[in-house]
Amino acid sequence: MGHADRRGLAPAGARAVGPSTIVAIDSLTPGARAAGSRRWVSVALVAPAVAIAGFVVLGGIGMSLVQSLGLLPLVGVPSLSLDAYLANGDELLTGLGLSLGIATASTVLSCVIGLTAAVVITQGRITGRLVAALSALTIPVPHLIGAAAVGLLISDAGVLPRMLGIDGTDWPDLVGGPWWVAVVLEYTWKESAFVALVVAGVLASRVARYDETAALLGASRARRLRHVVIPLATPAVIVSAIIIFVYTFGSYEVAWLLGRPYPEPLPVLAFRLFDAISLTSRPEAAAVAVITTAVSLVVVALGMALLRRTPLWR
Amino acid sequence: MSPQHLARRSALAATIALGLVIPLAACSAPASDDQQYETWDEVVAAAQGQTVKLWMYGGDEQGNAYVNDVLVPAAAELGVTLEQVPIADTPDALNRILSEVQAGETDGEVDLVWVNGNNFGTGKEAGAWECGWTEMLPNMALTDPADPLLLDDFGTPVDGCEVPWHKAQFTFVYNSETVADVPSSLEELLDWARANPGRFTYPAPPDFTGSVFVREVLYSVSGGYENVPLAFSQEAFDELTPALYAELQDLEPSLWRGGETYPQDSNELNQLFADGEVDFTMTYGPATLTQLVADGTYPAGTKVLTLDEGTVGNASFLGLASTSGSKAGAMVVANLSLSAEQQAAKAQPDVWGQFTVLDLDQLSDEQRALFDALPSSPVVPAYDVLSENANPELAAAWVTPIDEGWRQLVLAQ
Repeated sequence: MGHADRRGLAPAGARAVGPSTIVAIDSLTPGARAAGSRRWVSVALVAPAVAIAGFVVLGGIGMSLVQSLGLLPLVGVPSLSLDAYLANGDELLTGLGLSLGIATASTVLSCVIGLTAAVVITQGRITGRLVAALSALTIPVPHLIGAAAVGLLISDAGVLPRMLGIDGTDWPDLVGGPWWVAVVLEYTWKESAFVALVVAGVLASRVARYDETAALLGASRARRLRHVVIPLATPAVIVSAIIIFVYTFGSYEVAWLLGRPYPEPLPVLAFRLFDAISLTSRPEAAAVAVITTAVSLVVVALGMALLRRTPLWR
Repeated sequence: MSPQHLARRSALAATIALGLVIPLAACSAPASDDQQYETWDEVVAAAQGQTVKLWMYGGDEQGNAYVNDVLVPAAAELGVTLEQVPIADTPDALNRILSEVQAGETDGEVDLVWVNGNNFGTGKEAGAWECGWTEMLPNMALTDPADPLLLDDFGTPVDGCEVPWHKAQFTFVYNSETVADVPSSLEELLDWARANPGRFTYPAPPDFTGSVFVREVLYSVSGGYENVPLAFSQEAFDELTPALYAELQDLEPSLWRGGETYPQDSNELNQLFADGEVDFTMTYGPATLTQLVADGTYPAGTKVLTLDEGTVGNASFLGLASTSGSKAGAMVVANLSLSAEQQAAKAQPDVWGQFTVLDLDQLSDEQRALFDALPSSPVVPAYDVLSENANPELAAAWVTPIDEGWRQLVLAQ
């Protein structure tokens, strides 16, 4: 049953039939029994996916939690303790700060660049198409390949310093340097393309009509950007930001490949501990993983709360 | 606590215990190869048609080529399918076995592992290795039963849990075109580094190579390996390591990038050496140098630095996972890898150039001729020159505390 039929049924006086009106009609017309069984069917259809996702996510996190609390040691008697959380206290805190820093920098830069690119794309000119093509080409490159490429390009003995004829010792420490420049750069390159495509998708379907209306009413370009385009894009930007933050916060390979041995971001710390050749370090690795997960969940919750407060949500 | 409470609680405990045990029992599928073999013929018969997965460090192209082009076809002739599983680092394999031990797996993914040192020691402690099977191998007779390198692996008794594969000698490598005053001891090497800031560094432990470099410095600052007890004790650690960390802290400002950071692994150090950013590198596998110089990866002036006090030597082994489902096949492959033909082929510099574990005195004339025919290298001296004054490895229990101390006192400062 399409919206067009409904619109045809609606009284002639109700010309501006918005989505909310349609929902209202929908809940009035069909029998309650039919709605109930339809809900049942949808639950049944989604159940396998939920079961698998639940098994993997809850099972994985549950196992990590159990291990981190000392209940699943490789040797010895299981006993409940917080030792694994306290064993690397200092490194955990510096790692947490570093991971938050990398994730924040990458997220902010990606959103700013991605939003700009999305606006350019929706202008629909040649440059827009070019930017869209570049973004679409960036998406399928795996982060590992991206990291290796960035490393080859801008490390001390990389392609760029060689092409520019700059000696390795005079080149800034971008790879493995104190500011993690190469890591943030790689994330920003990949994730801004992601933001650009997601936001451009949202803008393309909604912005044109409002933008034209505002233009007809005499709004300047800057005002249209500020009062039409950015508010319309905000929810999509927030959702993308949550995804990027959580991804960069928990990602291992880029930070390891382009980073330095100390201090370590949380995922690198977790993996080193997991791989360390001492029997007590597995619970410690699990503890770092649990903390990483907890922080990610908090960020998702904060982001969703922010999303609910945007005027376009509901 | 009331009896009902107690009863309810023990019922809960029993349920949890059952919940844990049932999956374990269900995992013990019949596909396993857990039987004890009496004779070698039984092993060979049982091995027919088995597939053996050899997990080994995959970052060495020559090693990969030797296994896939030489060892795999020879195993196929004996009726065993051998597959190499290249891994980034040996703990990956150990971790896999430990996970399988935890899950009660008996037909695991890992059969043989190229292993030594603390990976072996920790694995043995946690029951990751099948033990007491090596004396059954006919080719073990070709090794010297009294060879200390083959009896203890970083202080852990081998106890027939792993079969020797090759010997290694830790070696410093330098570029003779840029290093004029060649150091002849580790102390002189560190002095050279101080006199030439930015031209020397070492990989950050727990990298295998970086870790042994730090232990070499421990020997040096303690006045020789004789002064460091091989077995770990907290007293010896507290007494000896302050001088070690003080020396390395003092060295730090003279290192590459002012010691603010270190190469993450030996590959990164080798890359720096190949790019001419540093003048020294170090390796456990000096035999590969000949090829690296020949193909132009390393500068033509690359030379091996021999130190008066000697360097650490060790042997590496093939361990058999206790969770393996193809143990007979794995034993056949292990025996094959110890044959004079395979050991001599592996020692060819253009194949892999790994030093043999066999005792040449135990070989027949025909077998010895295979080794006599090996060419000499313009870059790397022979094993007996390299291994002169060889220092023993410290017990595995030393390794983790030293690496951890280094992270805290040198890296994090």
